[in-house]
Amino acid sequence: MNKYGVIIDTLPPKGGRIEILFRQAGDGFIQVEYGYEQRVELLDSFRILAADAKIKRKNAHGLIETLPSLRANMIHFDPTVLSPQKLIDMIKEIEESIPGVDDMVIESRIITLPIAFEDSQTKKAVELYLKQVRPDAPNCADGYNLEYMAICNGCTVADIKHMLLNTEWYNSGCGFWPGGGFFWPLDPRSKMNVPKYNPPRIWTPEGAVGIGGACLFTYTTATGGGYQLFGRTIPTFQFAMKHPMFKDGPFLYRPSGDRIRFVEASEKDILDIHEHVHDKTDYEYQIEDGELVVKDYLEFLSRDDVAKGAADFLARQKEGAKAAPRL
Amino acid sequence: MLKVVNGGIEILVEDWPGRLGYMGLGMAAAGAMDNLALQLGNLLVGNALTDAGLEIAGGYCEFEATDTGVLALTGADMSAALNGTPLPLWESVAVEKGDLLKFSHFGEKGFRAYLALRGGVDVPVYLGSRSTCLFGSYGGFEGRKLAAGDIVTAVKDSSAAGGGTSSVTGRKLNPKYIPKYSNIWELRAIPGPNSSPDYVTEEGMDYVFSSPMKISHNANRAAYRLEEVPDYFWARKDGGKGGSHPSNIVDHGYNMRGAINVTGNTPSVLIADGPTLGGFVCVANVINADLWKIGQGIPARDKAAFTLVTVEDAIEARKERNAMFEADDLFLS
Repeated sequence: MNKYGVIIDTLPPKGGRIEILFRQAGDGFIQVEYGYEQRVELLDSFRILAADAKIKRKNAHGLIETLPSLRANMIHFDPTVLSPQKLIDMIKEIEESIPGVDDMVIESRIITLPIAFEDSQTKKAVELYLKQVRPDAPNCADGYNLEYMAICNGCTVADIKHMLLNTEWYNSGCGFWPGGGFFWPLDPRSKMNVPKYNPPRIWTPEGAVGIGGACLFTYTTATGGGYQLFGRTIPTFQFAMKHPMFKDGPFLYRPSGDRIRFVEASEKDILDIHEHVHDKTDYEYQIEDGELVVKDYLEFLSRDDVAKGAADFLARQKEGAKAAPRL
Repeated sequence: MLKVVNGGIEILVEDWPGRLGYMGLGMAAAGAMDNLALQLGNLLVGNALTDAGLEIAGGYCEFEATDTGVLALTGADMSAALNGTPLPLWESVAVEKGDLLKFSHFGEKGFRAYLALRGGVDVPVYLGSRSTCLFGSYGGFEGRKLAAGDIVTAVKDSSAAGGGTSSVTGRKLNPKYIPKYSNIWELRAIPGPNSSPDYVTEEGMDYVFSSPMKISHNANRAAYRLEEVPDYFWARKDGGKGGSHPSNIVDHGYNMRGAINVTGNTPSVLIADGPTLGGFVCVANVINADLWKIGQGIPARDKAAFTLVTVEDAIEARKERNAMFEADDLFLS
């Protein structure tokens, strides 16, 4: 190992599993990385979350927290209590217990979120951006982002809304902003792709739903941001922890493979729900327990209509991306 | 027991080790920038190491005691005065109602001072910690820095507060344990997770570990930005699926606190309120035992000098630190 080498251990590929690298990341951190290649594959995330759940369940003394992302898991630990090698051995043992996709079943709730497209608050965010940041922004040319998203994907605004509503969105992990999840479409026919704002917005309202690249985000609090906006959903976070859903913590999403699906609603409905979450604290969230069986999902992906639909969309998207003004 | 008369640049309630366990939910640990000064202050007033104190960045602030109590001032010397008389650092003093505590500003060395109050600063515990996350506006004192008129009180029912005040008043830190302040802060660091040969050239890593880098004026509780690295730093042409610049990577969790994160060609040490996850490489991590130094670096003036160490060295340094807090000769009797 050269003096800057950081790969302290590996687990060779086996069955459907790619090589796993253990990267040194400090005296209290080890990054478990899945493969060398910078790729965006939900299959990697399924494996990471399946292993992550088992790591957490071990409740190892000295393990502080884990931070799973799309193709890596950052492990934070106290090395005076838990030695790096012991930690690696534990993770290896867990990985060996889930060799193939047949063994991957992820606890995954389905959370239904009403959304109002192009509501007045997210519209205000776009107006402010045009006024304060970039008056000539091509992604806001008609006063909102949906038209630009349609151009980028070679489709219509109606198609964009349909794609958002027509798939479940899978959370590969939370991070970046308190309570925020990174959501990916499970149906490849809904795999939109759009550039991010350049430069970013200064303000986005709580509840805004946006997409950057292929990743969807629901804004947990008002903040800046760079994702193209669809509209506004209900609260997915509550600092004050007043509503019973948030009695144990301010978070709605768990960092463990939650799925969300959107249903269209009016802006009035959304505003009412905000009031019933934050003020009256009596809104009933619609959440079903469930699991994501990876084998079933792979079968879904290989269905003729799904595969063909995805390929057709990808072709249109490629043409759209060429036509879309760069940001 | 202390009323803020003038909030100065930035006074925050912070504890240590901060809000651990929520990185996976997008919440940074926050916590004291200089955990060593805060913890020594706590011991000087008879508190637990984990109690909350006040972090004073820059200075220019003023307090009035609203009650009797014991406090200890540690960290950077800001020429603080109690009723006009210079207040010594690294020892505990009793205060009376009406006493005025006035800070000048940071001087030759160090940027943050800490006030430990006997009993610990009393703010609501939020998700296991009293620390303020300034960037997310939560925790600490209403999620914000202190302003004129705010009153901070000490925890009344703490184990420390029950023991009377006379036993700790006048307690002095043995000078040999006073941390060494500098203008070039030696930060021991461990490469990874993104290093040579796959992300950074060997010459690039040599640069990190041999060239003291000036701290930017734009250094705060989330990131201590440093001067740019040269173009030969990068071992790859772009970030592949992660983006067009070689500093890009498919979003991954950061080794926070202490990550040396590079965005474009600008390295930053991510600390306290920093991002927990993002799409840029992290080339090294400042060891836990040296995290305290980062926030003492004076923006736009001091430098950070990284020294290569092994994980074993770093674990040993942690143990030495823990042993120091237990040392028989920690205080002058």
